[in-house]
Amino acid sequence: MNTQSGVKAVELRGITKYFPGVIANNNVDLDLNWGEVLALLGENGAGKTTLMNILYGLYAPDAGEIYINGALASIRSPQDAMRYGIGMIHQHFTLVPVHSVVENVMLGGKAQRRGPMRVEDVAREIEELGNRYGLEVDPFAIVGQLPVGVQQRVEILKALYRGARVLIMDEPTAVLTPQETRKLFRFIREFKEKGNAVIFISHKLAEVMEIADRITVLRDGKVVGTLSRTQASERRLAYMMVGRELKTPTRTRQKRSGRKILEVKDLVVKGDRGNLAVDHLSLEICQGEIFGIAGVSGNGQEELAEAICGLRQIEGGKVILDGQEITNANPLTIIKAGVGYIPSDRRREGLVLDMSVEENVILRRYFNPEISNHGIIHRRAVHTQATKLVQEFKIKTPSLATKTKALSGGNQQKLVVAREYITGSKVLIAVQPTRGLDVGAAEYVQTMLSRASAEGKAILLISTELAEILALSDRIGVIYRGKLLEIIDRAKATVEKIGLLMAGIRGERNAGVE
Amino acid sequence: MQALNNLTTQIAGMVLDRMKQRDQSFWLVFSPILSVILGLLGSGLMMLLLGQNPITVYYNLFRYAFRDIYNIADIFAKSTPLILTGLAFGFAFRASLFNIGAQGQFYVGALAAVVCALHLEGAPPILALLACFLASATAGGLWAAFIGYTKARFNANEFLVSMMSTYIAIAIMNFLIRGPLKEAKGEYPQTDVIPANTWLPPLIPHTRLHWGFLLAVAVALIAYFILWKTTLGYKIRVVGHNQVAARYAGINTKRIFVIVFSISGAFAGLAGFTEINGMQHMLIEGFNPQIGAEGIGIAILGNAHPIGILLAALLFGALKVGGNLITQTSEIPASIIGIIEGFVMLAVILSYYLQNKIRTWRSKKALKSREGVTL
Repeated sequence: MNTQSGVKAVELRGITKYFPGVIANNNVDLDLNWGEVLALLGENGAGKTTLMNILYGLYAPDAGEIYINGALASIRSPQDAMRYGIGMIHQHFTLVPVHSVVENVMLGGKAQRRGPMRVEDVAREIEELGNRYGLEVDPFAIVGQLPVGVQQRVEILKALYRGARVLIMDEPTAVLTPQETRKLFRFIREFKEKGNAVIFISHKLAEVMEIADRITVLRDGKVVGTLSRTQASERRLAYMMVGRELKTPTRTRQKRSGRKILEVKDLVVKGDRGNLAVDHLSLEICQGEIFGIAGVSGNGQEELAEAICGLRQIEGGKVILDGQEITNANPLTIIKAGVGYIPSDRRREGLVLDMSVEENVILRRYFNPEISNHGIIHRRAVHTQATKLVQEFKIKTPSLATKTKALSGGNQQKLVVAREYITGSKVLIAVQPTRGLDVGAAEYVQTMLSRASAEGKAILLISTELAEILALSDRIGVIYRGKLLEIIDRAKATVEKIGLLMAGIRGERNAGVE
Repeated sequence: MQALNNLTTQIAGMVLDRMKQRDQSFWLVFSPILSVILGLLGSGLMMLLLGQNPITVYYNLFRYAFRDIYNIADIFAKSTPLILTGLAFGFAFRASLFNIGAQGQFYVGALAAVVCALHLEGAPPILALLACFLASATAGGLWAAFIGYTKARFNANEFLVSMMSTYIAIAIMNFLIRGPLKEAKGEYPQTDVIPANTWLPPLIPHTRLHWGFLLAVAVALIAYFILWKTTLGYKIRVVGHNQVAARYAGINTKRIFVIVFSISGAFAGLAGFTEINGMQHMLIEGFNPQIGAEGIGIAILGNAHPIGILLAALLFGALKVGGNLITQTSEIPASIIGIIEGFVMLAVILSYYLQNKIRTWRSKKALKSREGVTL
């Protein structure tokens, strides 16, 4: 593959992709030059990953053409993409954890090479590549035992080994510590200076401003515009992403009443991989208070929420709801005790997509005497409740019998919020409640949270959107590696201060609460 | 001929209209019917290979099945156990569980019924029947509950466990029939005839149709009621669609596994009751060896809906009655019934695939017109 000047590395023309019920990419054009980093910026659900999966051959576009180095390319599988020198680093790694680094790299082979491969040769090549790009890794280490940052390095090496000259990185920093991120950026710069190209997918403005040469912004599957870094500013990019200036909605804050509704004491919870996800964390939320937890995702937020709701084993510490201990109680007991929970993944967890709106309204309420007696469901009562909820919360649906998978993302989330608003008579836990929502729906959800607090509920808001945390919370705790580094009153909180804490800058030794 | 033409265009027009309305419930009914027709066409081709005229065969099949009241009654009698094994599979399927072992649960139920009946000579008929009923349902239910338990406790694959448990049930049955339960004459591997007071009375005199059919219909209605009117059914369906959401909703999915398998097994066990007390009046080694497999097909054809299963079982019953008679009166091999059933199943499964394709295609088209983009 030659890289004449003026010839573009990748050109996408009129790429369109439909999924049932959604238009993921709508007539997207995109250019990538050799020797540059192009950032693909957009909110969750803007269509960034879909577009890149098309370029990588994982999805077939419904329309549009791809040109590589100026020539029309037919990419039908990742193998094709690799043959064109395109490699992709997925958000969720595609490694075999029980295999060694070499074995993972060898898996899938090498483009344009036939015959047997010798482990020693491949290992040497990995070491060479690693030295050249500052991606040192022991070729014989077992992947599952490596830290996440190193696993990502293995993914990159895998792509380089196959001769990738265009690297697509899907939110590569989401799982990294600040130091690891710096290292990754150093690699990206080196890689591009050697005449290669990188597409960097992100929704984090600061990061994009730091690493990208040009920035293409996607919104609702369409290209909003492309800016060079010199033209761009964080404010301008934010405006392009969300289609409006970020304004901070204000909320009349309650005076803290003395009554503690939710107390978490010295909580210890393990993550899926047996790691310490929540590390001796304590917090308390009073009546009418919104307690915001800020932090980079993957620092124990979801595990904390699940532990409180009884969905994850608590290894140590206590959870007390309105004076009653609910540590390791079963989920049903906790629901009945009045804890509403808006999970981060509404499609997988918060809703049963193949069931109707009506049936989803009673998902966490089917046992309620208003809805069923002696195990028999009262159809009319369900209907009345669902009708009321749909009207009150302005959920747009063709009918109550419509399957929830046919609703738009915003209306799906409104349904979850509406249900949990009613379920959570005392506590409402919201994890990433506005992720992937359009502005209107997001504002609506935020309004509902303030309204819930005005009604005296204790609210735990967990979000990676700092603006959201600042706008809604009375107090803010910053979570870092499962600990709350500091709890700050909203009045004393600044973006800078929280930003530093989110990066764990205060140092772990001082961690602890108050 | 002209009238027939008009009729077909009229029907085609109606079909197209309904298709345009994107009526889901219409497809639920229409696609199984279409599948049956396709299945009959497919097996018609097989008959051509046998040198038989499929039109004559189908005509005779139909004629025999509905020849007289005895045969018509036999359709219902034959469909009785099929309804129950169909429900057994369909009910578990609603929880996304695969109960492949209805055959074994049926045998266990039949064993319980026959043992119970043999010990109840002289008892009042109603009490005797009630005892056999309870014994077979309990035996089938407990047998299947074990499958649910292994899934809940050890995360065992219920598909395999239920399938293998059938072989164990067969082995136990054979042991008992050749051993302690062997007939007094000691000649064949079968039990004695059960006393007449434990026979299910005929529904229509001088036919083989017995009260077991009404029982099967009642069970279908009960299954429908459980699934769509009770919190238990609601929980079962939530587990069937999304186990993560089920946990989130406070549902103990493991308990649901055990409950669903118990109910499913009880349904299959009852098929043993209706066959022993209503039809055979004794337990013969290796009887009705296809009843479990046919139940799976019936449940799929009936879209795992109790009413659909009822209708599908009647269709299979009619094929059996008509098929048995044509194979007795012509040179068509008996396996033709199996072939017809097989082709129907194949067409049903194909129709699910096609429905999915059509849905995706439609939803894309709808988006296209909404967004005004050209593809």
